[in-house]
Amino acid sequence: MRFVRFLPALMFATAFALAMPVPAVGADPKAEKQAQKKKAREEAAKAAEEARRAEELKQAEAAKKADEARRARAAEAAKKQAAPPGKFDAASVAAFIDAEVGKKLTAEKLDPSPICTDAEFLRRAYLDITGVIPTAERAKTFLDDTSPDKRAKLIDELLTDPNYGRKQADVWLAKLFPRESNNRFVQPQAFHTWLAGEFNSNTPWDKFVSILVTAVGTVDEHPEVTFFLANRSVDKLTDAVSQHFLGVRLSCAQCHNHPFAPTKQAEYWGMAAFFSKVNAQNPKNPKKGNDNSDLGVQEGKGPTKAKDFFPESAKKVSAKFLGGPEPKLNAAEPYRPVLAAWMTDAANPFFAKAMANRTWAQMFGHGIVDPVDDLIEKNTPSHPELLDGLAKQFAAGGFDVKGLIRGIALSQTYQRSARPNGSNKGDSEFFSHLSVKQMTGEQLYDSLQVVLGADRDAGKKAQNQAGKGNVSPRDRFALFYSAGAEEVNPTAFDAGIPQVLKQLNSNNARIAAAAKSMTGTLKGEAAVEKLYLTALARRPTADEAKRLAEFLAQNPTEGPADLLWAILNSSEFCMIR
Amino acid sequence: MFRDYDRRLFLQLSAAGVASTALSGWMRVLADNASANTPTGKKHKSCILLWMDGGPSHKDTFDLKPDSKGAGDFKPIKSAATGIEISEHLPKIAGLMNHGVLVRGMSTPEGAHPRAKYNLHTGYREGQGGLVYPSLGAIVSKETGDPNAAMPNFVSIGNRSYGAGFIGPKYQPLIVQDPAKGVEDLKSAVSDQKFNTRAGLLEQMEKAFYHEYQSGATIDHQTTIDRAVKLMRSKEAKAFDIASEPAKAKEAYGSGKFAEGVLMARRLVEIGVPFVEVNLGGWDTHQDNFTKVKNLSGQVDTALSALLTDLKDRGLLDTTLVIWMGEFGRTPNINTRGDKPGRDHYPKAWSLAMFGGGLQGGRVIGKTDKEGATVTDRPVGTTDFLATVCEVLGIDHAKENEAASGRPIRIVDKGNKPFTKEIL
Repeated sequence: MRFVRFLPALMFATAFALAMPVPAVGADPKAEKQAQKKKAREEAAKAAEEARRAEELKQAEAAKKADEARRARAAEAAKKQAAPPGKFDAASVAAFIDAEVGKKLTAEKLDPSPICTDAEFLRRAYLDITGVIPTAERAKTFLDDTSPDKRAKLIDELLTDPNYGRKQADVWLAKLFPRESNNRFVQPQAFHTWLAGEFNSNTPWDKFVSILVTAVGTVDEHPEVTFFLANRSVDKLTDAVSQHFLGVRLSCAQCHNHPFAPTKQAEYWGMAAFFSKVNAQNPKNPKKGNDNSDLGVQEGKGPTKAKDFFPESAKKVSAKFLGGPEPKLNAAEPYRPVLAAWMTDAANPFFAKAMANRTWAQMFGHGIVDPVDDLIEKNTPSHPELLDGLAKQFAAGGFDVKGLIRGIALSQTYQRSARPNGSNKGDSEFFSHLSVKQMTGEQLYDSLQVVLGADRDAGKKAQNQAGKGNVSPRDRFALFYSAGAEEVNPTAFDAGIPQVLKQLNSNNARIAAAAKSMTGTLKGEAAVEKLYLTALARRPTADEAKRLAEFLAQNPTEGPADLLWAILNSSEFCMIR
Repeated sequence: MFRDYDRRLFLQLSAAGVASTALSGWMRVLADNASANTPTGKKHKSCILLWMDGGPSHKDTFDLKPDSKGAGDFKPIKSAATGIEISEHLPKIAGLMNHGVLVRGMSTPEGAHPRAKYNLHTGYREGQGGLVYPSLGAIVSKETGDPNAAMPNFVSIGNRSYGAGFIGPKYQPLIVQDPAKGVEDLKSAVSDQKFNTRAGLLEQMEKAFYHEYQSGATIDHQTTIDRAVKLMRSKEAKAFDIASEPAKAKEAYGSGKFAEGVLMARRLVEIGVPFVEVNLGGWDTHQDNFTKVKNLSGQVDTALSALLTDLKDRGLLDTTLVIWMGEFGRTPNINTRGDKPGRDHYPKAWSLAMFGGGLQGGRVIGKTDKEGATVTDRPVGTTDFLATVCEVLGIDHAKENEAASGRPIRIVDKGNKPFTKEIL
């Protein structure tokens, strides 16, 4: 068991109990609640008023105050709703995150940045949760909303938006469906739709992964079998399952013992043995009239005979759980359910932690353990107790993925500004301020649709229209943008000259048309505001409004298009702050 | 303590003097009209890869076996290099064989097109270790390219290419689909004056954003925009405009996309682009092999001989390595499929050709048996060949690049046996 670290359960329980808010006991809850609400409204309205006048930094301070008040109330409300035991409690998880991150910040003598402005939060939450920017209308209603719990409400709204599932499907399809020549006849669309559906209906992660890992049937009836069609050899399946669901990169151990970790080849082929009976049919060229929808995956009675299913380097060893025992397997029964049961057990040392860390990294740009799929001893977490606690709570709370995202998004840690201060400027590890992330190709494509096409579903439509073709326009854009890089560092700008040239020079007619329809009869500062709300989900600062209104006055016909071009090519547009 | 990224940022900032000046005048290029480009500092060899997509038949091009069972229709002819005979349909190349090295001992592991192309471009098997590997062009771009040059360091002309893989999009090729049309999106859609106005607005936004968030990603973003704009404005970008080539010089290359691509490659190498790949498809001759190979050989003969002659005339032949190759050879036997017979995939024994690059011309590496079916002397595998190319270009192929996971990956995998000493 050298590879496994068990949670110090008692330590965790103590830490968590300390972080739990005490439930409120009110004499007349209804009246009190109304009074609270009224008071909160007044406070927040006042705060919002101040914030509007203040420059952005001052606004941040005000938002922080309103935010603290709101958080206290939100936590209280959450308590009153009395989540049934065993359910994921997002509010207390948020408090736990803040306590753990806070401890470390104190120890490292780092002052955290203040809570971000509403505009920053809106765009960040939209892109991180649904993968696309808000419309100008939504930006306006959110910024003008004075209710104290509007951030929590927005998080809930975004988690029920179908784009949430689409965004997660983008992330996971890239991991589970390698874009390589062997897969040129495998269609990703049905699998993408299935993934999006499972995320949207918030299938508990243990059940979700079980369904995927044990999938049998045809693509038509069970699109999840696509995972096996796109990874048609034991080594690919072993790599993918351990890397993506267990957070352990085993691929090196395929050929040699891991240089930095105690992962031996025996461990690798022990895991691979669970896939030894998977029979995934070979897809045919759809251009030759083959309809691959009736292709399927079955689990046979003995080792699969398909060509290349076992690589030359394959070693015949008994099935063995990673860092665990060798289960007794009945050759007449399928093996994968035995693996799935071990993987998704709440006591599995990797499973919950891997997902908690991945989800964290999606929101913050880097994991508590980073790289996220390398949860080995030498790759130490920046906050071990935080990761252990999150994982434990995720498992105990029924593997509620939306709940986990809600918990993270509700935390002050996530709601901090991306503006560094004097003390935390050099920090990129302790979450003293948010990292500025670059958009993925999909996020950029979908957000450009919002601005230029004013059609939130354009990406999805294109994908449907693509029909049998393996690559939709949205996919093509995303692949062009990431250029096939293994995993891009979300906090660096990695695009090259071809990508930038496309941004600079290819959209001119669409930009001109969009700028015209956006601004319509609006003039001066009102036109500037409309452009900013549409593309950047914020109002211009007083200085921007004045300066750019002058610019529009001097360039009445083409000014709006010029300004929109500049916005769409800016860091502020193509990054998540 | 520095994460990778911070380290990079730190270096950038150091290079720029101090953080605060990193931004000032980042679009300075806009002010100077048609900026005079900084000449590429270090002198390096360039490489032109002529990619024969589909896998050319070795027995019908550079390794003829007139006395074998599947000899085919073509006759060998003498070349300018003593003892080297090649196809009668490559007469002009034959006249330049004293500048060329033939590798007749190629023997590689993959027999399916995509996997074989991947292997020959990257030196690794597709999917190996769960990584996407950089292709030769991306490696050359990273190792010898000037990161600040206006011109891209890797240009791929015609059809798809293999890209940068885990070393990142910065080393991705600039793709020119149709050489007659040049680079996609290179021209501004608006007038220079308007572009300057727009860029001025953009610069203000970038400054404000950087001031507030101090994110290194902003500097990278600006640097890349700066390079793209530099390219749009540069005189060098005219290299992409083959229409400006004198008609007579153009004619020498023949007609068609491949001829235009080869001409563009010469223009790019002339201004210092280190790696250009030009694609010629149609070599997958399962049927009607002899008509097709004759036609393709004609295209290659005209364009490649014009290229070598031009490079020689310009004094660039010694510093430009030209490689002619596909993903594998074709069966020694002629198949009986249909009334127009062809040859099928054959990775076990095949040929490629290299010219210029300071090589000792007129040499042959490896030898096949009398059927052209088995390598009997000096077999050359994928990594042996790529390691040799690296050495000829002055690249240390034992150098390791770091994958995102921190795994060190050698430019060319261990166990390679380069044949550089035999040809350089």
